[in-house]
Amino acid sequence: MAEQRTDTELLTLFREPATKEKAFTEIVKKYQERLYWHVRRMLVDHEDSNDVLQNVFIRVWNALSGFREDAQLYTWLYRIATNECLTFIEQQKKKASISLDEMDSGLSNKIRADKDFDANKLEWKLQLAIQQLPEKQRVVFMLRYYNEMPYEEMSKVLDTSTGALKASYHHAAKKIEDFILNH
Amino acid sequence: METSKDILTELLDVAPFLGKAGMSRVPYSIPKGYFADFTDILLRRIRIEMEVISEPQAGQEIADLSPLLAGLQKNNPYKLPEGYFESRQINIPSSGKNPAVPIFERGQAKEVPIISIESQPRRVFNFSRVLKYAVAACLVAMLGTTLFNISTHIESDPILGLAVVSDQDMANYLDSDDIHWTPGLSSATESTTDIASVDLNDNDIRDLLSNVPDDELEQYSALLPEEKGTVN
Repeated sequence: MAEQRTDTELLTLFREPATKEKAFTEIVKKYQERLYWHVRRMLVDHEDSNDVLQNVFIRVWNALSGFREDAQLYTWLYRIATNECLTFIEQQKKKASISLDEMDSGLSNKIRADKDFDANKLEWKLQLAIQQLPEKQRVVFMLRYYNEMPYEEMSKVLDTSTGALKASYHHAAKKIEDFILNH
Repeated sequence: METSKDILTELLDVAPFLGKAGMSRVPYSIPKGYFADFTDILLRRIRIEMEVISEPQAGQEIADLSPLLAGLQKNNPYKLPEGYFESRQINIPSSGKNPAVPIFERGQAKEVPIISIESQPRRVFNFSRVLKYAVAACLVAMLGTTLFNISTHIESDPILGLAVVSDQDMANYLDSDDIHWTPGLSSATESTTDIASVDLNDNDIRDLLSNVPDDELEQYSALLPEEKGTVN
């Protein structure tokens, strides 16, 4: 198997019309799984996640030429993916004329409706616990817990200070632990 | 740069159970081969969207669809009055600063004046002002309707109307109903309980009273004044 190119190399190839599509394909293959799981944990449903992930990469295709490399490519990708998820949740909420709390309980119901759902398994309890968190706290927890993203990078994704992110993550972790232990 | 170990240590400090449980596995399942096909599906969608964006020129498109229609595209059957655009003028409703200016002089293009939006009087919809006028209009309408009703009522009241009917008109009206009354026999100041006399002859009276028993007639005649008390 050929060695994976660095992000810088891929960006250089993307800017050349002859290699643009090839570079883009490599970028998609490199990041699709990580981004998919980030989106899936946010939206729970596979079809929703698939739609949003496609939208994310279409945005990337349209905007990558103007990417200035101030941040790392993966930070930028997570930023787009997170924004797309939040926009999607907002749209769903408006479409159904429901409050955020109702939306969260809707996501919990989707988790329970999963064919593999097992209320006794900790990993499922964890998913339910995550859905109890406020939206922003949920994103912070997922980026740190699942993606092991440093606070510095996360602050670029979420436009929030590292101090606030740290406090948010600690609150989230405690709340989740309480939920798991009490349910 | 933080490592996974740093992140785990942090988690163990904050939420020991969560840190020890090591639950980073996500329990969701995905369709088989999803990631293998994802890139192809995505690129197909991007190509379709690019085709939509880079749509052909309208002229070329209609030429491909129908050469006949493409040939007719530039033929305009409508005619304009001669010199129509040359004679058009803009009437600017502001002060004499910008008098009516022709858009084009004959055969020579002239710069079209730029009219500042700020220089034009602004028409702002003022709700409270409109409401004031609406309330005033309603009050006027209500007052008018009330006055109209009162005046109509006075004119149509039959009792009040009698005051302006002349004695002669009244006599004419009563005559038409076989009720005879001579103006001047009773003054206007007489009591309204006075009634006009009815022209009855003795035979009529006899017919009218034929069914009345004699006892009742005698009782009635006893009540009448003496000079008028005889009934035959």
